[in-house]
Amino acid sequence: MNAPIDTSMNARPTAAQEARQSFVLVRIGERRFAAPANLVAELSPPVRLHRFPHTTSLVSGVIIRRGKIVPVCNASDIVGGRKSSANLFYLIADGSAAESGELVAIPVNGESELVAGEIRPAEQAAPGYICGSLLLGEEAIDVLDLRELAKALETNAELSRAEGQS
Amino acid sequence: MKFATFEPAKERRSGPSEAIILFSVSNQTFAIAASDVQEIRSTDSLSGTANEIDCPDLPKVRHTIDRARQKYYVVNAAQHFGLPVSRPTLVLILRQLRAAILVDRIDRMTEISAAYPLPRAFTGEERRWYRGLTYIDDHVIPVVQPAGFLTSQEFWRLEEAAHQASQRELEGARL
Repeated sequence: MNAPIDTSMNARPTAAQEARQSFVLVRIGERRFAAPANLVAELSPPVRLHRFPHTTSLVSGVIIRRGKIVPVCNASDIVGGRKSSANLFYLIADGSAAESGELVAIPVNGESELVAGEIRPAEQAAPGYICGSLLLGEEAIDVLDLRELAKALETNAELSRAEGQS
Repeated sequence: MKFATFEPAKERRSGPSEAIILFSVSNQTFAIAASDVQEIRSTDSLSGTANEIDCPDLPKVRHTIDRARQKYYVVNAAQHFGLPVSRPTLVLILRQLRAAILVDRIDRMTEISAAYPLPRAFTGEERRWYRGLTYIDDHVIPVVQPAGFLTSQEFWRLEEAAHQASQRELEGARL
């Protein structure tokens, strides 16, 4: 990807476009996911990660974007796959995606692209943070429910803290 | 606060600002409001006046110092923040709390216009440790909350341990 995609520009969609939702395709760990574009504030370049002592297991630090302090959450620990620093970008989920209403940055790797498509229902066995799948050619790509993913990150952090205390 | 090496700020920014002290522990920088610190002393100056305290479930506190007829608990900041063991050379004696904090060094004193709230994604002990984050010279620095160094429960346990130690001393003297 050459330049970060800024989806905060509210270009008015046509009726046909409205029927087909827009998604940002990203790679988290080793898997490709689609994130609803309306919940993606920005795909940010690999800016400096600021670290300081804390005990929240799934948060690795914070980045500064547009004058705001944004926590970086390791979604790869939830969705599976190895962490990689190769070709790192940050998907910044819109504040409405998290219960706290704050922006959250999720490290993503490799090429990202904006696609349009129709979402199909998720499989019954799919985890809560997968809200459907997107058919692109012959590949079915899981669509992330960013709100549920943010919740899963919070729950997982609480669980690992409880385990640490016991 | 007694701090001889403090240089007055060269430029004054408009709007409210807060004087803070930047200090380091295990190569990690923290900030504390200057108004929260009563005095900064070298650890050498405390040798001979510090008393040992044995509270096994609170290993971050191993000494007490007496000041103005009050017992101050000395907290090792590296252990408090879960950082690698360091060699503290200074102790920050807090103003509102009977606690003194062992730190490696003071970096400098500066002014900040605001401490930004800690993002709510942070849900652990850091919510008690820090009152916010500040951004200085391209670095995000946590601003510590003095009351976060020792909870009231920890204080109670330390008071208990100190009381038991003085009882043992008295009994030893009688024998």
